Amino acid sequence: MAKAARFGGRLDTVVFASCIVLALVASALPNQMRDPVAGSLRRTIVAPLVGMQQSAEKWRSAWLESERKTLERDSIALQLAQATALTVENDRLRKLLGLGSRLAWGFVPAEALHTSGRTEDVITTLTLTAGSKSGVAAYSPVVAPEGIVGLVQTVDPTMSIAILYSHPDFRVSAMSADGSAFGIVYPHLDVRPSRLAERYLLELRNVPFRSTLKPGTAIFSSGLGGAWPRGVLIGNIVDEVKESDTWSRTYIVRPAANPAHVTSVMILTPKRSAQGVGNIWADASQVQSGLRTIVAAGDSLARLATLAEAAARRAAMDSVRRAGVGDSLRSDTSALDTSLVRRQGIATPRPAPRVRRDSTRDTVPRDTTRRDTTRRDTTRRDTTVRRDSLSTRLP
Amino acid sequence: MNWTAAVRTAIVCLILIVMHYTLRPLLGWRASIDFLLIALVFGSVRMRPAGAAIFGLLLGLAADSLAHDAFGAGALAGTIVGFSASWLKAVFFADNLALNGFFLFIGKWVFDLVYVLMERRMHGTEMLMQIIVWSPLAAAVTALAGVVAVTLLRPILEVRTA
Repeated sequence: MAKAARFGGRLDTVVFASCIVLALVASALPNQMRDPVAGSLRRTIVAPLVGMQQSAEKWRSAWLESERKTLERDSIALQLAQATALTVENDRLRKLLGLGSRLAWGFVPAEALHTSGRTEDVITTLTLTAGSKSGVAAYSPVVAPEGIVGLVQTVDPTMSIAILYSHPDFRVSAMSADGSAFGIVYPHLDVRPSRLAERYLLELRNVPFRSTLKPGTAIFSSGLGGAWPRGVLIGNIVDEVKESDTWSRTYIVRPAANPAHVTSVMILTPKRSAQGVGNIWADASQVQSGLRTIVAAGDSLARLATLAEAAARRAAMDSVRRAGVGDSLRSDTSALDTSLVRRQGIATPRPAPRVRRDSTRDTVPRDTTRRDTTRRDTTRRDTTVRRDSLSTRLP
Repeated sequence: MNWTAAVRTAIVCLILIVMHYTLRPLLGWRASIDFLLIALVFGSVRMRPAGAAIFGLLLGLAADSLAHDAFGAGALAGTIVGFSASWLKAVFFADNLALNGFFLFIGKWVFDLVYVLMERRMHGTEMLMQIIVWSPLAAAVTALAGVVAVTLLRPILEVRTA
């Protein structure tokens, strides 16, 4: 028993030593001999394992690729969101730069911080990042590229607080663009709690009864109050408020500037307020109204063209029906042909009416008959168009 | 070791070898799990030292055939670890997961040490980092995976009692 165990132990040692020698020989083999041995192992015993490893690595690379694409998509979405915000900010800053270049002097640029508490339903104050050190004084007008924003109320060395046009204490003397109507602009305070958005509207009160203002009329500061220079855009007339006392008129005005979108403003210095701002906002509003007119004209032209095309199509259908062409299928085909003729100027052959064919087959050439039919279509189409256009003009 | 135990051991080793070539590439960790070493240790403790040495040599050669410049290094490391595992089984192996894990940790570290020294590819700081940082990390991960494998394959694997 002990001999067997001793033999087993010796055998183990011999095998172990042999394996060590084999491994050392394998590692000491030159490349020319090593590669065939490794290659034969790869092609036989290890081949299925290598296949599995390849599949696993394919799965991994597919998973990594999918993860990479997800990351890319996410980053693109993020960039897009940032780009939209940047575009809006860029647009705002461009407008502000435009206002700065038009004003040229006598203003202090400042950032507007919305510091009102959430308990406040309507924003009435703004904190501005410029104070008396920058030349801001109390009652300095605060403007945006769109128009009036508010008035500086409290001034500190490095910051100031302004009341917005929605503040109950806000007033500004106002006039229409042509100077035909004057009044005083107040905040629109009498609003139901369910319609709080209307709290940002303004009221133009004390307009003489003889002065009628149409909706859309631009209202500017008149410069009579002392605080505001003449010519700063306030907003546009929305509607007239019907009141019982008739000695003056009151109008609802939609402000040009939205306080929720105001992030950067210009504070006019007292010297600039005294000297006026010229027609800066009037010119801008004229450009905008001009653009609106051009767009409206384009729309109406497109509408007219659509109406004319529809009328022509109806006329073609009528003429085909009146020409007595057989069944509905034929008339549809003819109508299509007619419209094609009209659009492309191609003389499409059309079968002549049966009655005429019987009587005039030998005497009248078929082409002439077709041409007549086409002419008749044209005449009818014109008439119908005129009728249609008249009917559209009538109320 | 009877035939049933031999078949069970072969099945477990086969599962672990397949996992080495499927799960390991999928995970793609820097300190990866060496399922071949787990298979080697689990197989070796159920064999005679001579058989374990041959098993280690064959596994090492199979792994080396896929390595370009390290042919023979894995075979030598596998032979040493297999023979040692089989020789030390009476001392270390018991039905204790922590002890199994520790033995796997030592086995993997020794394997990597022999492999790195025989491979002669790394030098200086790189070799030191591999031996002191990456090899212990890989050994720890391998030990953990071995413990999990022992737990999961307990119904198939007949763990020796002390």
